Amino acid sequence: MKPEEEIRKARYKTYALVWMTLIILTGITLSAAGWELGGWTVLIALAIAGTKSGLVLNYFMHLRSERLTVFKVIIPLVLAVFLVFILLTFSDLAFRGGVR
Amino acid sequence: MISGRLMKEMDEVKELVSEEVRDDTGARLGMWLFILSEILLFGGMFILYSGYRYKNPVDFHHASRELDVILGTFNTIVLLTSSLSMAASVAATQRGQRRLSMVLLMATMALGLFFLAIKGFEWGTKIEHGIYPNSPTLLARAKGEVLFFGLYYMMTGLHGLHILVGVCILCGMLIFIAKNKMNRMRFVPLENSGLYWHLVDIIWIFLYPLFYLIT
Repeated sequence: MKPEEEIRKARYKTYALVWMTLIILTGITLSAAGWELGGWTVLIALAIAGTKSGLVLNYFMHLRSERLTVFKVIIPLVLAVFLVFILLTFSDLAFRGGVR
Repeated sequence: MISGRLMKEMDEVKELVSEEVRDDTGARLGMWLFILSEILLFGGMFILYSGYRYKNPVDFHHASRELDVILGTFNTIVLLTSSLSMAASVAATQRGQRRLSMVLLMATMALGLFFLAIKGFEWGTKIEHGIYPNSPTLLARAKGEVLFFGLYYMMTGLHGLHILVGVCILCGMLIFIAKNKMNRMRFVPLENSGLYWHLVDIIWIFLYPLFYLIT
């Protein structure tokens, strides 16, 4: 077996810990929805969902132990493209009201 | 002397031919590019969702209250657990623990089907109450609620379809492992199926708070 593949082997224990963290974060999302925080609620929900995705990407999908740079740029790249789409859409939506 | 050199070269050629030509890194990279396109596919719908929610915050809140938070949360746990068994199944194959890998893979498939059953039950209850795309009951409601349920059926439906496809792929992988075509030395197709399964999990991680937990 190539050394690269040896490194990518993860431990069952790590997986179990990541899973427990994901369940706890789900519980936090659920209870956070009950707090009266107004506009912050959706931001908190998205921040927790982002954290959970980061855990899945890095541990379950082994992004953390990928060595080639091309794997490291995929997620930032897709987020950047997505951000451009969001900014364009909302710059349209936000200024639409003025036109009659 | 010439024949001796020829024999040696023949041996080298044999060695080259017997070693299977494959590119594991390339295969994984291809899978990641597919995942990138999937993120943008769902991303488009998430943008549509956020645009409509921005325009109709109150209607979205009212419509969201009608979804069953308990079932949504339970389904989240089911899917997260299936991701754990999937990752562990890949690890088991990499270690040559064939039986364990097969059991974990079957558990992943069972959890995926369980998720779909709960989702189907949720949809069924809503449809019984007359809430489905273009239904008279739904069209009589506020515009924002019609949009919310349209997005709900579209996004959870496409997500459910991904789960169904995932279960079929995992079924194929199970057969490969059983036939020993997937083992300690050759596991990239299984690993790539795992990547797909985890991606579907990530999409649900975002769908869950955005549909079930709007305040």
